[in-house]
Amino acid sequence: MAGDVDSFNQLVLRWERPIYALAYRVIGRDEDARDVAQETFLRAFRALPGFKGQAKFSSWLYRIALNLCRDWIRRKKRTPVVEMPEGVDVVELASEQGPAESIEDLVARNEMSRIVAEGMKLLPDEQRTAIVLKEYHGLTFQEIADLQGCPLSTVKTRLYQGLSVLRKHLESQGMTSYREQ
Amino acid sequence: MSITFSCDDKDTLISYLYGEIDAPVRKAVEDHLAQCAACAAEVMALGGVRSELGLWTPPEVELDFQIVKKSAAPAATVLRPARWWSTVPVWAQAAAAVLVVAAGLSIANLQIKSGPEGLTVSTGWMVQTAAPVAAVSPSSDEAWKTALVSLEQQLRTEIRAAREDQPRTASSTAVDDATMRRVQQLIGEAEQRHERALAARFVEYASDMDMQRRADLQMISRGMTNYQSEVLRQRQMLNNVIRVSGTPQQ
Repeated sequence: MAGDVDSFNQLVLRWERPIYALAYRVIGRDEDARDVAQETFLRAFRALPGFKGQAKFSSWLYRIALNLCRDWIRRKKRTPVVEMPEGVDVVELASEQGPAESIEDLVARNEMSRIVAEGMKLLPDEQRTAIVLKEYHGLTFQEIADLQGCPLSTVKTRLYQGLSVLRKHLESQGMTSYREQ
Repeated sequence: MSITFSCDDKDTLISYLYGEIDAPVRKAVEDHLAQCAACAAEVMALGGVRSELGLWTPPEVELDFQIVKKSAAPAATVLRPARWWSTVPVWAQAAAAVLVVAAGLSIANLQIKSGPEGLTVSTGWMVQTAAPVAAVSPSSDEAWKTALVSLEQQLRTEIRAAREDQPRTASSTAVDDATMRRVQQLIGEAEQRHERALAARFVEYASDMDMQRRADLQMISRGMTNYQSEVLRQRQMLNNVIRVSGTPQQ
């Protein structure tokens, strides 16, 4: 049992930040994202004997986390709120970023981050979750389809519609300097 | 068989955008984008959105989640003796409850009477004896007489039985008398010791008082002697003064 705990804590150390980031981007609140991430690992540990390895461990964790996020959204009955991290000192951050990024650049980057977050808030839960899983966690279409319990084509549709809404939002905010891939 | 791509095929466009696409389909999309400015602009715009999404980062927070194992010690088990009533069947407990209630009512001498004054509920033996006889109807008078005769017979039986049991308790009575005599003897001896001690104290006290009285008498006698000598000396001095001054003696 002690060995299980130690081994599982290694997995927690590996996955705590991705799970927290997923929860933060889906529900948009730091404290609630921490709670969701913590609960994700607790539930995973309790359900570990039932995990037979038929799926990737990461997909299994994502499923638990997404279910918790969905419960949180239903419980709160409101759209996710995107908040800027508390206690962020722009000047202090600028000094940590080094001389390559000026304070003006940092302020502009934070402003663009806020606009992107607001755009994500406009999306329905399914589209936002699909974009988060694809953009920030690199899941395949099939993996997202499995997590969301929908056909592969639905995932692609959600991605296309979500990106299109974000495109309009960013253009409305004057962010049109898209870089070519 | 050549693969073609149309402007409405958004699923394939997304696959191309994210790179999850087979090589022949990719080639078909690229051929289409080279000819369709609208689709090329859309792909470029959506790619720009993806780049902007990279700006949204979660806060850098300390997480450090850990699964902490609880103490493996089992919960303390307190062993208690089984409660005696927990082993008694329910029907037996109910029967015992009925018996207790019946016994309580009999001890309380609960009586419910219905008369001209209405329904009367009384408890206790004192209430029964204090009830006025005049209020009893003739029919109940007969019942009382019967009850009294029965009680008299019961008392006689008990007195007779007590007399018969008396010889069997004689030995215990003798033991009690011997004990009482012994106790009285001890008390008498203790009283005699106290009387002797008190007499000795009294003699000693009387002796002390006598000695003190004699000492006081001697002191008084010496005082009187001294006083008489002083008075005589002053009288002689006064006579001498009168004799010298020639004043007639009064």
